[in-house]
Amino acid sequence: MTFFKLSTAAVAATLAATSVFAETEITWWHAMGGQLGETVNQIAADFNAAQDDYTITPVYKGSYEETLTAGIAAFRAGEQPNIMQVFDAGAATVIGAKGATVPVQDLLEANGVAFDINDYISGVRYFYADSEGKMIGMPFNSSSPIMYFNVDALAAAGVSAPKTWEEFQTVTAPALKAAGYIALSQSHLPWIFTENFMSRHNLPFATNNNGYDGTDTKILVNNDAIKNHFTSVLDWKEAGFFEWYGTGWGDNAKPFEEGKVAMWLGSSGSFGGLLQKDLGFEFSATNLPYWEAVTTEPTQTFIGGAALFAMAGKSADENKATAEFFKFLTSADVQYFWHQATGYVPITEAAYEVAKADGHYDRFPAAEVGIQQLSLAAGENTKGYRMGFYVQIRDVMNREYGRILTGETSVEEAFQNIETEANQLLARFAKTQG
Amino acid sequence: MKRAGFTNVWLPIALLLPQLSIIAIFFYWPAGWALQSSFYLQDPFGFGSTFVGFENYTDLTRNREYLRIAGFTVVFCGLVTFFSLALALLLAVKADKVIRGAKTYRTLLMWVYAIAPPVAGFMGIMFFDQRNGPITEFFQVLGWDFKLGVNYFDTATAMIMVSVWKQIPVNFIFFLSGLQSIPRAVREAAMIDNRSAAGRFWGVTFPLLAPTAFFLLIINITYALFDTFGIIDTLMKGEPGNNPMTLVYKVYLDGFRGNDLGGSSAQSVILMILVLALTVFQFRLIERRIHYT
Amino acid sequence: MAELSTTSDTLTTAKAQPVRRKRIKISNIVDHAVLIAGAVLMLLPVVMVFLTTGFEDTDILRNGLRIDVGPHMGENFSNAMFERSGFTEAITGMRMLTNSLILGVGFALGKIAISLLAAYAIVYFRLRFATLAFWIIFTTLLLPLEVRILPSYEAIQRLGMTNTYGGLIIPLIASATATFFFRQFLMSVPEELAEAARIDGAGPVKFFIDILVPLSRTMIAAIFIIMFVFGWNQYLWPTMITTEESMFTLVRGIKQIVAVLEGGTIPEYGKSLALAIIAMIPPVLIVVFFQNWFVKGLTESDK
Repeated sequence: MTFFKLSTAAVAATLAATSVFAETEITWWHAMGGQLGETVNQIAADFNAAQDDYTITPVYKGSYEETLTAGIAAFRAGEQPNIMQVFDAGAATVIGAKGATVPVQDLLEANGVAFDINDYISGVRYFYADSEGKMIGMPFNSSSPIMYFNVDALAAAGVSAPKTWEEFQTVTAPALKAAGYIALSQSHLPWIFTENFMSRHNLPFATNNNGYDGTDTKILVNNDAIKNHFTSVLDWKEAGFFEWYGTGWGDNAKPFEEGKVAMWLGSSGSFGGLLQKDLGFEFSATNLPYWEAVTTEPTQTFIGGAALFAMAGKSADENKATAEFFKFLTSADVQYFWHQATGYVPITEAAYEVAKADGHYDRFPAAEVGIQQLSLAAGENTKGYRMGFYVQIRDVMNREYGRILTGETSVEEAFQNIETEANQLLARFAKTQG
Repeated sequence: MKRAGFTNVWLPIALLLPQLSIIAIFFYWPAGWALQSSFYLQDPFGFGSTFVGFENYTDLTRNREYLRIAGFTVVFCGLVTFFSLALALLLAVKADKVIRGAKTYRTLLMWVYAIAPPVAGFMGIMFFDQRNGPITEFFQVLGWDFKLGVNYFDTATAMIMVSVWKQIPVNFIFFLSGLQSIPRAVREAAMIDNRSAAGRFWGVTFPLLAPTAFFLLIINITYALFDTFGIIDTLMKGEPGNNPMTLVYKVYLDGFRGNDLGGSSAQSVILMILVLALTVFQFRLIERRIHYT
Repeated sequence: MAELSTTSDTLTTAKAQPVRRKRIKISNIVDHAVLIAGAVLMLLPVVMVFLTTGFEDTDILRNGLRIDVGPHMGENFSNAMFERSGFTEAITGMRMLTNSLILGVGFALGKIAISLLAAYAIVYFRLRFATLAFWIIFTTLLLPLEVRILPSYEAIQRLGMTNTYGGLIIPLIASATATFFFRQFLMSVPEELAEAARIDGAGPVKFFIDILVPLSRTMIAAIFIIMFVFGWNQYLWPTMITTEESMFTLVRGIKQIVAVLEGGTIPEYGKSLALAIIAMIPPVLIVVFFQNWFVKGLTESDK
């Protein structure tokens, strides 16, 4: 009896509490650690403070891979968050599972939030869209691979940052070497030297319109342009122009931060972190170089980073809250704050204008490189790619590239392997969708 | 059972129930599920799935990388087992001989048992650091341009060294207790028969330790197969890249990082069969061992 | 274990006598040299990690591990234990320590309770399906959790037990190692005891509580130590089952530490190394202080 009384009292109290604070609560799982995570928390706190109807709770779930896996597990248990951050390589998995998410375009329109895909900058518009161009995931932390350089080192060598790889290997790198530097390192071979190699040179990456039009896709990675590129990279390494420190991101960034390596290919989203680190030399950035031998009209890069997906199976109230949060997140001021704090690009034209008007790029010219690169001329192969089991395909690339760079295999054989294994994985993925 | 015991009917069932239900839910159900899903390819979110028969298995046997990982697993198990057994045996023989400080030595040589493999792996990251790891620097003095996470062979060396370090204590404890249980009479007889210490060791002590060594062989293979997961995972810092890995790590990678449930389940089933074979082998050994002793 | 080391002492004395004096000395020195080298091999890495916690992050980043004493040890340890921010944002070392203790103790106690009951049922009762139960239980010895991680994870997920202590602990208990051990032990208990109890009119429950449990005390202690260390050191399972930071154990936290070392920001080396040391302390202390029980449990559980 006492127990019953107690519990009814508790229920009554809870009911009273919810009716007083009639806020709809939603959760957001993300993979933004460290300084990026603090910025995410700040955005969430601002949203909660800006209105009284909704409360969002961001939860850090580890790496991109861990976040995706945790989200899938939660979905299968019916405990999915309202918003899940999924990275580029996981896009095919989450978009392929129709019914797992509510397309962001539908969500916004259903909840009376105005949506026009043309408000978004051209580079981010279609990466997370379906083949008809409907936006499925809301681009969030969008980055582009750019070339950071040590201004002091380049001055000491008497060169400027190279525009093309031809310039790099004949002018920049020899001069930097003579000045006592390793000219170049990079942090993500599949992303920078494969995916964006394709988009920068407007080369097809996969059949089926880069995979957007179906799952019976074949990868087109085994081509002469990229094989020549890797042959050159190997030559550079032997000549002391390039060094590879393993598959980890940070292992390759550190030598640049320490001033041993003069130029580093990283993410435009690395900008905030580099600024915070107080490197002891002046640094700047420029576009990802291209091969003049492959194209004289280099195109824009793919966006990297991740998008936010609205998970299915949530109440109308919660979906409304999610839509409101997306509206807040894409507002020019919030985008500008995010861009300033992290270096990720602002995803809307309006936010880009705010940043320009505020003089952000006069203060930090390097901060504009990412968005400029994403706004370069588009080509038929630059909107993105959509391949299943792409996490494994990237792992296969990383493995084979590691073998090339440590002399375990030849460029020819490595790309043969990547093509074979990637196509097996794609065929397997097609069957998971059956 | 040989004991007559109590005749109560419901009590033993109640006593067994907790264990049986946990085993049913967390052992038999999952094992059955693994077997079933190894014949399917399914969408990770649970929307689509296709029955593919033995395709998940045939894909594995055709995959050169999987075979390479299997090969590495064998070499890794062999080297970790050999070095950790050999070093532990050397230390145990010496610890059994000394009088002064025997107990202190025992404590100092066994306490690492309590360190978790990933913690050992994290220490390994520091010791094998590319820029300033003490062991890296030592190798460089020897003229070996050691690079963890870059060269396959170097990363494998680091994984083996850390795994051996972590496993020496268990082997040491077993060898020492095996040595101490050799009867005094046997030792005295050996002393008279065999003048040289080496001859005594290989002629008398080692054969007497053989049952312990056989048992430890299985323990060590199991350790190298499964318990080294934390060491491997930390030393490759979450990026498989061109790093060596064991079969268990591959199950985790494909299932958990890649969300390929069918392929990962097929690998689980293959491992189950492997372990089953190992255990049958172990039971036969123990049987024979009981026979001898 | 006291009796073991005494026998060894008398043995070595007995053995040493017939050999000439000078040779003993040389071989003795070699023995001690080998043992000291072994002890240093075991000890030095941990000592260096411990000493390195005395330095600032940037210093460690530049110079790596240290063998001298630095001034920042207290600060790094207190950050590791109590600071909220940093690599996991929502959790302190204290919280992870608590989770590790819950996992270690919960696992050890759960396993002992369940195994002892099951072993008692198998050994002391006439059961029609005893053989079947025996085999159902002992098949689990064949397949460690690692080979069935994915399906076990699937099961936990379907039961909605991810990020719970139950989900963390119970599947780890689903193996028969301890049952097997207790069965062997109970079978070595003199049969007359049960006879006597029955003649005295003691029921099975009374016999179990009043006679068997006290009799098994040493065995229980030994198993507890081994299982505590085993549970505390779990990595793969907690990595999969806990995605909420408030549920992280210290050993699970190592994964986050390593991820941050690879990430963009300045790694908090001092704090990370301090956490690694904290993750070692409880299991190491237990193994060192109760080493007699521990060694006995370990070496006798195989028979």
